[in-house]
Amino acid sequence: MTSVDGARRGGPARGHAHLVPLWRGLVVYRVVALVAAIVNLVRFGDGWARPTLGVLVVAAMVVWTAMSSLRYLHRGDARTAVVDLVVTSLATASTLLVETPARLAEGGPVITTVWSAGPVLALALALGWRGGLVGGVVTVGVLFAVRRAVDADLVFDTQLLLVAGLAVGLAADTMRRSGERLREATAREAATAERERLSRDIHDGVLQVLALVRRRGAELDGDAPAVELARLAGEQEAALRRLITSAPVPGPDGTVDLSSRLAGALPPRASLAVPAEPVLLPAAVVDELAAVLREGAANAAAHAGPDAGLWVLVEDAADEVTVSLRDDGVGIPAGRLDEAAAEGHLGVAGSMRGRVADLGGTITLHTGAGQGTEWEITVPRRGS
Amino acid sequence: MVRVMVVDDHPIWRESVARELGERGVDVVATAADGAAAVRIAPAVRPDVVLMDLQLPELSGAEATARVREALPDTRVLVLSASAEQGDVMAAVRAGASGYLVKSAGLDELVDAITRTASGHAVFSPGLAGLVLGEYRRLENAGPDEPRLTPRETEVLRLVAKGLTARAIAERLVLSHRTVENHVQNSLRKLQLTNRVELTRYAIERGLDADD
Repeated sequence: MTSVDGARRGGPARGHAHLVPLWRGLVVYRVVALVAAIVNLVRFGDGWARPTLGVLVVAAMVVWTAMSSLRYLHRGDARTAVVDLVVTSLATASTLLVETPARLAEGGPVITTVWSAGPVLALALALGWRGGLVGGVVTVGVLFAVRRAVDADLVFDTQLLLVAGLAVGLAADTMRRSGERLREATAREAATAERERLSRDIHDGVLQVLALVRRRGAELDGDAPAVELARLAGEQEAALRRLITSAPVPGPDGTVDLSSRLAGALPPRASLAVPAEPVLLPAAVVDELAAVLREGAANAAAHAGPDAGLWVLVEDAADEVTVSLRDDGVGIPAGRLDEAAAEGHLGVAGSMRGRVADLGGTITLHTGAGQGTEWEITVPRRGS
Repeated sequence: MVRVMVVDDHPIWRESVARELGERGVDVVATAADGAAAVRIAPAVRPDVVLMDLQLPELSGAEATARVREALPDTRVLVLSASAEQGDVMAAVRAGASGYLVKSAGLDELVDAITRTASGHAVFSPGLAGLVLGEYRRLENAGPDEPRLTPRETEVLRLVAKGLTARAIAERLVLSHRTVENHVQNSLRKLQLTNRVELTRYAIERGLDADD
């Protein structure tokens, strides 16, 4: 067994924390039911076929109740509940040896009395309504095997056990789910708060200093290392500023903010002009647009040179979203793209066009030798 | 000589910018560490240009901009921010700021922007042009009484947002440099709210009133 396994075995079952109040209730029930079984022993034990065996069985029930209750409270695992079902079924079945057949036929109680319902509830808590149902059916089966007659008592017990198993199981399922949701929501909230705190810290400290280093260093003309440091500081400052202002803004119905996505997808040197409001589009559309823009930016870097400027403008109209990408590099001479297409090189332009067409949008290219390149991509808002 | 007041809550930054501007022949007449101090000090020193950070204690940069402009209509406000939320930038512009620079801008760029601001020009970065375009789009849906851009102004702003210089824009649209500048300035002026009531309404409508 690895140490990881060991840790998992020793630890609480998933979602256990949310169910602790129910497990406590179960433990109280089992202790009260145990008292009922002891009272049963005191009242009817004299008439049993094997009183000594009866006392031993009840003693074993006391020990098992203590052991399993501790495990339920700390871990609430399904394994303990299954073992509990087996132990309890055996104890109930021992009634066949302890009691006389005559008294059993008269409808005398089984030795475990209501204590036999314990594992049904435990399985319901550990495994949900299915666990409760299985536990109920097994327990009813054992009771029937002992009694060997379908009388009013057995019908009544059956109803109680199945209803209790199902109801407690459903309650456990609901509590586990809402507990998980609460935990997720709390975690999300904590992450957001942490991010905001980090943003504030970065804004108040690192960002200001980086901007300062960049400014002061750039003034030391002729001092190559200082200028290099200033350039690096400037790059990091831009990247950091973008990072803390590009918190992804998830919108309703699986939409995502295009602006913050582009802020993360484009190189830091790119200028990004966007509206103040989030530009919400379906996540798949945003992914495609980000991919198209990344291609365009990479292409600009390859052809226009790494020092060429790069500008992106996002415009959000009621029925369509327009994204423009411009570089001030050497541009593409007229006809070069058609030539390339004719030669079978679909290349970047072809790939960008294909992706935009798949979105039902349009893409246009303005370029010419010495004029830089300018892409304009428009995608419709569906359902508006 | 241009008279400037520097408002920034970051002491190292504030002192360093004030000193650098002084070395470049800009007259730094005052500094302030928060928005309330800026509003208090400005009437006493009457600067030509207030260099305003946005995330300030006491009073936000946008609110301080509105109050300074109200008290001193001839004083212009240039926003200089490290990582402003775009909503904050727009609020400052509507409150009367006539330009926006990020702190990483070089000293030459800053001095140039201050000079241009002092002489009544708008300082437009591509990012600001994108915000202004977005704001007009929003207003289009807000009601018939809201200001609109003319098609020519839209055209000019789009080119600014795509990184073209005023000269390149003038060339491309076959306009004079002066006309391009006017279009840019008008687009900003039409957005600026004329009184505190309008500003407060705008802030509440945009959820910017809970500024701390």
